[in-house]
Amino acid sequence: MSESNGNVVTASEVARRYGEGDAAVDALAGITTGFERGRFTAIMGPSGSGKSTLMHILAGLDKPTAGTVHIEDVEITKLDDAALTKLRRDKLGFIFQFFNLLPVLTAEENLVLPLSIAGRKPDQAWVDQLVRTVGLEDRRTHRPSELSGGQQQRVAVARALISKPAVVFADEPTGNLDSKASADVLRLLRQAVDEFDQTVVMVTHDPDAAAHADRLITLRDGHIVHDAVPGSTADVIELMKQID
Amino acid sequence: MARFAIKSLWARKVRALTTTLAVVIGVAFVAGTYILTDTTFAAFDEIFEDSLAKTDVVITAKEEVRQETGETPSFKATVLPKVRQVDGVRVAVGQIFTVGAFFDAKNEQIGTKFAPKFITSNIPESLETQTYVEGRKPRDAKEAALDQGAAEEAGLGVGDTLKLASVERVAAYRIVGLTKLGEASWGGASIAGLILPEAQRITDKRGEFDQVLIAASGGVSEETLKRRVQQKVADPSLLIETAEENAKRNSDQIHEDLGFLRIALLVFAFVALFVGAFLIFNTFSITVAQRIKEFGMLRTLGAGRGQILGSVVVEALAIGILGALLGLAGGYAIAVGLNALFVAVGIDLPTTALVTKTRTIVIALLIGIGITLISSFIPALRATRVPPIAALLALELPQSRRRGVVLAVLAVLLGLVGLGMVAVGLFGGADGGSAAGLIGGGAVAVLLGVSLFSPRLVRPLASLTGRPLERLRRLTGRLARENTQRNPARTAVTAAALMIGLAVVAFVTVFAAGIKGSIATAVDESFQGELVLQNSDGFSPISPRAASLARKIPGVELVSTMRVAQAELLDGGGTERVSALDRDAGAVIDIDWSEGGSQTLRDLNDDEVIVDKSFASSNGVDVGDEASFLTQIGAKPRLRIVGKYEDKAELLGGAIVTQRLMATAFDQRDDTIDFVKLAPGASAEKIQAALIKSMDREFPVVEVRNQQELKENQEEQINQLLGLIYALLALAVIVSLFGIANTLALSIHERTRELGMLRAIGMSRSQARTMIRYEAVITALIGALLGMVIGVIFAALIAQPLKDEGFTLSYPVLQLVLMLIFAAFAGILAAIPPSIRASRLDVLEALHYE
Ligand SMILES: Nc1ncnc2c1ncn2[C@@H]1O[C@H](COP(=O)(O)OP(=O)(O)OP(=O)(O)O)[C@@H](O)[C@H]1O
Ligand SMILES: [Mg+2]
Repeated sequence: MSESNGNVVTASEVARRYGEGDAAVDALAGITTGFERGRFTAIMGPSGSGKSTLMHILAGLDKPTAGTVHIEDVEITKLDDAALTKLRRDKLGFIFQFFNLLPVLTAEENLVLPLSIAGRKPDQAWVDQLVRTVGLEDRRTHRPSELSGGQQQRVAVARALISKPAVVFADEPTGNLDSKASADVLRLLRQAVDEFDQTVVMVTHDPDAAAHADRLITLRDGHIVHDAVPGSTADVIELMKQID
Repeated sequence: MARFAIKSLWARKVRALTTTLAVVIGVAFVAGTYILTDTTFAAFDEIFEDSLAKTDVVITAKEEVRQETGETPSFKATVLPKVRQVDGVRVAVGQIFTVGAFFDAKNEQIGTKFAPKFITSNIPESLETQTYVEGRKPRDAKEAALDQGAAEEAGLGVGDTLKLASVERVAAYRIVGLTKLGEASWGGASIAGLILPEAQRITDKRGEFDQVLIAASGGVSEETLKRRVQQKVADPSLLIETAEENAKRNSDQIHEDLGFLRIALLVFAFVALFVGAFLIFNTFSITVAQRIKEFGMLRTLGAGRGQILGSVVVEALAIGILGALLGLAGGYAIAVGLNALFVAVGIDLPTTALVTKTRTIVIALLIGIGITLISSFIPALRATRVPPIAALLALELPQSRRRGVVLAVLAVLLGLVGLGMVAVGLFGGADGGSAAGLIGGGAVAVLLGVSLFSPRLVRPLASLTGRPLERLRRLTGRLARENTQRNPARTAVTAAALMIGLAVVAFVTVFAAGIKGSIATAVDESFQGELVLQNSDGFSPISPRAASLARKIPGVELVSTMRVAQAELLDGGGTERVSALDRDAGAVIDIDWSEGGSQTLRDLNDDEVIVDKSFASSNGVDVGDEASFLTQIGAKPRLRIVGKYEDKAELLGGAIVTQRLMATAFDQRDDTIDFVKLAPGASAEKIQAALIKSMDREFPVVEVRNQQELKENQEEQINQLLGLIYALLALAVIVSLFGIANTLALSIHERTRELGMLRAIGMSRSQARTMIRYEAVITALIGALLGMVIGVIFAALIAQPLKDEGFTLSYPVLQLVLMLIFAAFAGILAAIPPSIRASRLDVLEALHYE
């Protein structure tokens, strides 16, 4: 279970149960899968199927009730808060649906925030490249309130990439955006995978978004019910219909 | 709607509780002040009434002008046989009741410094109201009784030695009985009993009494007996009262003397309340802002503006009522605490069972509820402006530009009006009370003005105070500063709460430093003599024989004495301190002459007076005029003004007369201070040691101080007062710390998702804690800086009119810097609960948080 099989993230028999006794809900019912380096994976499924729960556990934000998660060679399910904090600094990037940026910092400061928090000096060339990639050269000193929703989310994508993490997790990154802005964000994620060999795991409801991925995992009632190449947007819509 | 309000309050009960606490502390302070002062007054009343329980009529000497020492003159014992002849007198007895000093066998003074110790003489059983809890009455000149409280305090019992000292004499006695009077505790006051002849001897009142106690035969009323005694005695220098009248007069006097205490405490309580009002205002403003969606939702459901207003007001009412009730209960704790504080600085007042008057309850409730309602009213009004659409959009409350301008104009107006009031109070020639009112009111207006204006100052001040923190911890410092600047109004009000407390602290600190400095300068400039003899309390008289004793010590060149009495300037003048100096006083004190000189003093006649410059100008008299004084024994000497001086050291008082006149007309034959000048080449140290040795033997109350000790003694008293004031202000500062904690908790609540995001991208718990801590520190420093500037400016302003009297302001920079550091630490303290909450935040929950 390490780099040898090409997986950056590995989940084995991951289960998550909420509550106890009769009221218990099995959000994840024993999931085993891996995520390869340099691949863009989308996770879909009906509401309540366990997508967010899976992603939180993969990212070490939540602990499974059974099973293990490894990121690279580290079993993260055993780590304490300090080690997890370090892991997040070094290995993980996050993109959320809302509240991605600190309103008090400029776009560029938000971009390098993970490095500032870790007390590291950003590599200016890398910063410049990211700024150029997300197309915000003339927005560096703007505050989030002066940016559009799409621009804000592009900063968030760049921020997730700044520390060159092992894996970027995105929970419905386009859930809050119109189709043009969504397309921009997805194109960026795709570019990160293709150009920087970045590993990306994205939870989404949007078939169009899923179609940008290399692999689509579909969940229902805490089980993986489908795991394949997504194909076109139409294919994804068809698949979802079947699963519902 | 009311039910909804209470429910929503319950849902936010922790926040509601801290808000309530702000009301509780202020109300408790007010209630505690009333409870304590009522209790003290009740205790005095009890003591006065209890001690005269078996007495119907009391004779005392009439005191025309009250003396600083509080001692009343004695009178000739020859009045007693006359009284005994009066029809209806069952028993009449003369008694000694004189303030003295008590010592144990090791010459250690017994009891607290500022409480009186009475030397009294026995009275017969039929009038006696003290009971002997142990032992018996003294029977001969070697025996004494002591009150149980003092005995316990000093660890003395029957069989132990008690030394009593009056101005003139000191003697040792064996304690043969311990006494108790009524249920009230006497605080630091104590009473010793001797047989009458011994009491008269030790107090130097042979053939005299301090009072005559008379009991009526059955069927004769107090009033009737009083009239008969008055007719028989017919002496205008004596005051003949019923026991009830006497107790009432004493009680009134105490109320007058201690009335300032209640007012002073209420001023501090008001400061705490004022700070509490800021906290309530801020908490309500923030919660209203956070509940915009909720209000919008209610509006879409058809709630009217009145209903929204009602729901916020009901919340405030609930907090106000709860706060007032808890505050009332807390008042008892505060009353006990305040008393302990006073005892700690040597003010040990009598106490009895805690007194709660209906007035206290009414005031506590009115203030608690009133303050909450008033300070929550503006936020409540703002809640009504929330449009229904707010339910759908994440709206900010409308922050109109006009509102900002109106507030700024109002702030400047308030500031100007406040300064104007202070100026009129200082220079307008208003009398003491209304001048203080004007200055106080002006201060409140200025503080309000600055708080209204301060949102505009938050940005620069946060940058200023945040810079060192940013250097210390780059990102967390930066974020902390940005966070305080995010909502300047909120930070400003939070800081303003601390500003108020620290403005008063800074004012008091600067002013006290000025007083200390001025006293030191005055002592240096005025005292040529190296040593002084004084009563250990600093103001009570000492025997003139102490000076004679000192003159015999080799190396002492000159001892010059000063005597002091209070007298009233006739024709509308006030009560003034009059002093009498030896003719050679010029050799030991440096009088700042405006007209005349040392020769004027040497040649002063018994019908002449030298006056203080400001005394002269305020009474419209000058050199060459005549002035009449009323003395404590009712004499009215008419004196010609022959010279004028400036009394910078506050030593000489308003006028100087001859010592002969002081004895005959003012009835003062004891010294207040003796200045000792040493022969050239004599060792001050050796002579001081010799003086101490000889004083200890004969006059244990006399203290020998050198210039340095004299300054230190004054300084110590000011420091003690300062300590008391700081302790009283501490409550207000604590309330403002609650304010900082409250604001932080609320803003963390708002920023839950943001904090979750920061944690998700790698912020550690300790970084989160540091960030919150720094936010508190920056807020506290903003408050402290503003407060200190205001405090220092006020001190400088109020020092202006005092300049003429030799008061020079000095700026205790070190102390002010310490205050800033203290404020920073206070901020850290206030940040403890919110920063812990922020760091414990569950990242997952925070991200989910709706
Ligand atoms: N804190 C919790 N306590 C109890 N049950 C929970 C909790 N969080 C999630 N669940 C349950 O776990 C299941 C999976 O939830 P999860 O949030 O992973 O779904 P999801 O696929 O992300 O849904 P959505 O598309 O609506 O975001 C659901 O049945 C949900 O009700
Ligand atoms: Mg989800």
